[in-house]
Amino acid sequence: MSKRTVEYEVSRTPELGMDFRAQEGPLMPTDVVEPDFGSENMLINVGPQHPATHGVLRLVLELDGETVVRCIPHIGYLHSSFEKLGEYRDWNQIVPLTDRMDYLAPLIYNCAFVMAVEKMMGVEVTERCKVVRVICMELDRIFSHLLWLGTWAIDVGAFTPFLYAFQERERVYQLHDRYVGARITTSATRIGGMLADLPEGWTDGVREFADTLPRTLDEIDTLLTNNGIHAGRTQGVGEISGEEAINSGFSGPNLRASGVPYDVRKDRPYYDYETYDFDVPIGEHGDCYDRYLVRMEEMRQSCRLLHQALDRLPDGPINVDDPRVILPSKTDCMNDMESMIHHFKLVMEGVKSPPGESYLPIEGSKGELGMYVVSDGGSKPVRWRVRPPSFVNLSVIPKLVEGGLLADVIVVNASLDIVLGEIDR
Amino acid sequence: MSGVEGREVDGGALTHPSVTAVQERFSEAILRHEVVAGDEHVIYVTPSRILEILRWLKEDPDHFYNYLSDVTAVDYGGGRPIQVVYQLFSITHRRALRVKAELPLSDLEIDSAVPLWDAANWLEREVYDMFGVVFRDHPDLRRILMPERYAEGHPLRKDFPLRGRFSRAEQTRRALSQEPEDYYIPEEFDSGREPQVVHWQEVGGGTEPSADPRRSARDSKESKDRMDTEPAGGDARQETD
Amino acid sequence: MSETQTPSEGRPPAEGGLPGGMFGSGTPTFLTTKVDFLVNWARRNSLWPMPFGTACCAIEMMASAASNQDLARFGMERMSFTPRQADVFICAGRVPFKLAPVLRRIWDQMPQPKWCVSMGACASSGGVFDVYSMVQGIDTIIPVDVYVPGCPPRPEALIYGLMMIQEKVRGESLARHGEHRFEDPEQAGSPRAGEDEIEALSGPFGNSTLQNQTSGLIHPTPPQRPGDRRP
Repeated sequence: MSKRTVEYEVSRTPELGMDFRAQEGPLMPTDVVEPDFGSENMLINVGPQHPATHGVLRLVLELDGETVVRCIPHIGYLHSSFEKLGEYRDWNQIVPLTDRMDYLAPLIYNCAFVMAVEKMMGVEVTERCKVVRVICMELDRIFSHLLWLGTWAIDVGAFTPFLYAFQERERVYQLHDRYVGARITTSATRIGGMLADLPEGWTDGVREFADTLPRTLDEIDTLLTNNGIHAGRTQGVGEISGEEAINSGFSGPNLRASGVPYDVRKDRPYYDYETYDFDVPIGEHGDCYDRYLVRMEEMRQSCRLLHQALDRLPDGPINVDDPRVILPSKTDCMNDMESMIHHFKLVMEGVKSPPGESYLPIEGSKGELGMYVVSDGGSKPVRWRVRPPSFVNLSVIPKLVEGGLLADVIVVNASLDIVLGEIDR
Repeated sequence: MSGVEGREVDGGALTHPSVTAVQERFSEAILRHEVVAGDEHVIYVTPSRILEILRWLKEDPDHFYNYLSDVTAVDYGGGRPIQVVYQLFSITHRRALRVKAELPLSDLEIDSAVPLWDAANWLEREVYDMFGVVFRDHPDLRRILMPERYAEGHPLRKDFPLRGRFSRAEQTRRALSQEPEDYYIPEEFDSGREPQVVHWQEVGGGTEPSADPRRSARDSKESKDRMDTEPAGGDARQETD
Repeated sequence: MSETQTPSEGRPPAEGGLPGGMFGSGTPTFLTTKVDFLVNWARRNSLWPMPFGTACCAIEMMASAASNQDLARFGMERMSFTPRQADVFICAGRVPFKLAPVLRRIWDQMPQPKWCVSMGACASSGGVFDVYSMVQGIDTIIPVDVYVPGCPPRPEALIYGLMMIQEKVRGESLARHGEHRFEDPEQAGSPRAGEDEIEALSGPFGNSTLQNQTSGLIHPTPPQRPGDRRP
């Protein structure tokens, strides 16, 4: 098969003269081979700089008319070598790297990493810490889904939900800000606890957010769910069966939209998720519309979880009382020689882990987020591996878009809820 | 049997139904069994029989590991073998198992798991990109995260320095001499061309910077694979907006 | 940091930038200053940003454009996703080497006059990512006008940076246009900085040096420390 060939001159910055016209190098195609419109397919390139690729994803599409014959994704345009960098950092120093990996749900990543390390080290966190982490994770699940909702709405052609969603997100930003002082890059967890106890009045803020979010969701619901244009644009687009979805490694809302009730929170529970009362929404057709419905419902379920977690939030210390991992209080350091030594060693050498390894999957906002840590007994990991949910989800995109229309590629891509920082790592 | 890093496996709560079964079925191919981090079961298998074991684990109705969570690798450095790690999960039985195969540095080849799980496709490409492990019969084994003509080696190996092997100026020059329009030609995609591994020693660390980076890139590329697949000047370019 | 590039040999010096005639010989006159004022007023209140968002900073950039911090207040409601119709290039996020040619191509595609905002620590200096795959500051590749520090910068910081661009536009003059805005077409697609400057800009510093020493995984040939970053 041959392809249409269009050769453009490498664009150069034209010099602007006094009359504001380009003086040289008019931006015209210089050598256009007239395409033969008979039977040839056309290659078009989407990205890496494209408003609808959610970052720097690049798709090379081969089109027959308007139908996608083949889709070749190219990733790696945001490869920041987190895993290599992690091998040069202490266990606690990796936490700030995790939230730069998935900047849509930073707290989930913070928690996932320290959970894996704690499991490997055999550290059991306090009850209060567990509940606080559940609150953080559910808050950020909503945080991430709201951004997905906004960009999804833009990609299917509606702008208002984006503004609504960002208004709600702004409240989560403020909650982050009040807890950790940063809007996105939270770095809130430490091995054995959190960076600090919750500030006064923070839980009231979360409760108010969980109370009022469903109202906004209802408004967006009215705009999108029964909207004929939205439904027509997304129903039956990018369908995948449950069996195929499992085989392809789909996870999270994408997998559940195909009718597979696999939720890590239910199937491999952690942090007492089995004692919370919440439902796992399941789709039926596995198309883009179902993925939308599943995520909308997940936000409401997260609100329920937030209420339950806030109700059961126990008092007590937030950090474990373990001098191996947690810095002693300043008072102890100044009065007690042993605490001083612990403090010195922790600061100078970092937390030390016994040799071992652990793979801990949790339900991230995009799917099964696994952290695989390997230690050889030092204060730095031998290997820190993230099982990236959107990486695996994205690898299915050729299957979903091939045979569909070019316009549907954008919708399918938006429905997968990818974040390139975590795909490329 | 005891693990080097894990605890002693002493029966009771520390047994795993699939491990017992797989040990019976493939007795000599299961090198050892470890329990790590409390409840995580790891089996070390002979690399040459990995596909057979994975297929059995996936298809046997009593075990049915239908979900491949992850494929990755671990390099411990110091010339020790590279471990390829498969994280399996059975959605039906809610059971997890980790399978490891140790590959000596001199023979980094293992069968691909793509015939069993489509999910392995990109994960194995990533392991190839980062560690240089070659997966036999992989449909499309090429670099995924690094540029296709990346010449410095495989970054996650322990002997790879954090800042890369070339100087920053050289890295910048090489980066900007790439063509942004480069794409994988579908014909090549079909034919399953052999991946080209260029070792960084052979490249020479960019001792002779070319006066015109674009020209040198184009020359080398054309000589490499453009000439034989299509006539010169036939590379389609798209505007990136 | 972002000195304008010197004109190449063979080109008449850009003194004054304009032939003598209508507007005089390059010295500001009443007419040129008035025209400058009008043109700059129009330009600075309708800057069209070209958002080159890659990572975390892009989310904050979206937040700046959304309801609470309304970027449209500054005449920037039109995010120009095509570089052909953009004035301000906002590089928001990390730039790996794989993305570098794309970044350069987009910058080359933007018509003059154009300005560049480097948003966040990673775009400005590589940030925490002093690793094999990352560009150590986009100023090695393209000229930068304003650096917005932060990881990521808050929307207020981005807006402040964009207002600094507006201030910069206010001070520009058509009479000196050629001098300020000259770009050699032959340089399209190649790094802005020379080899020495790239090495100086991207040398290890601070935490990253210490990390390598304590980890025991030392660079086989330690690069010569080029000293502090250039002012």
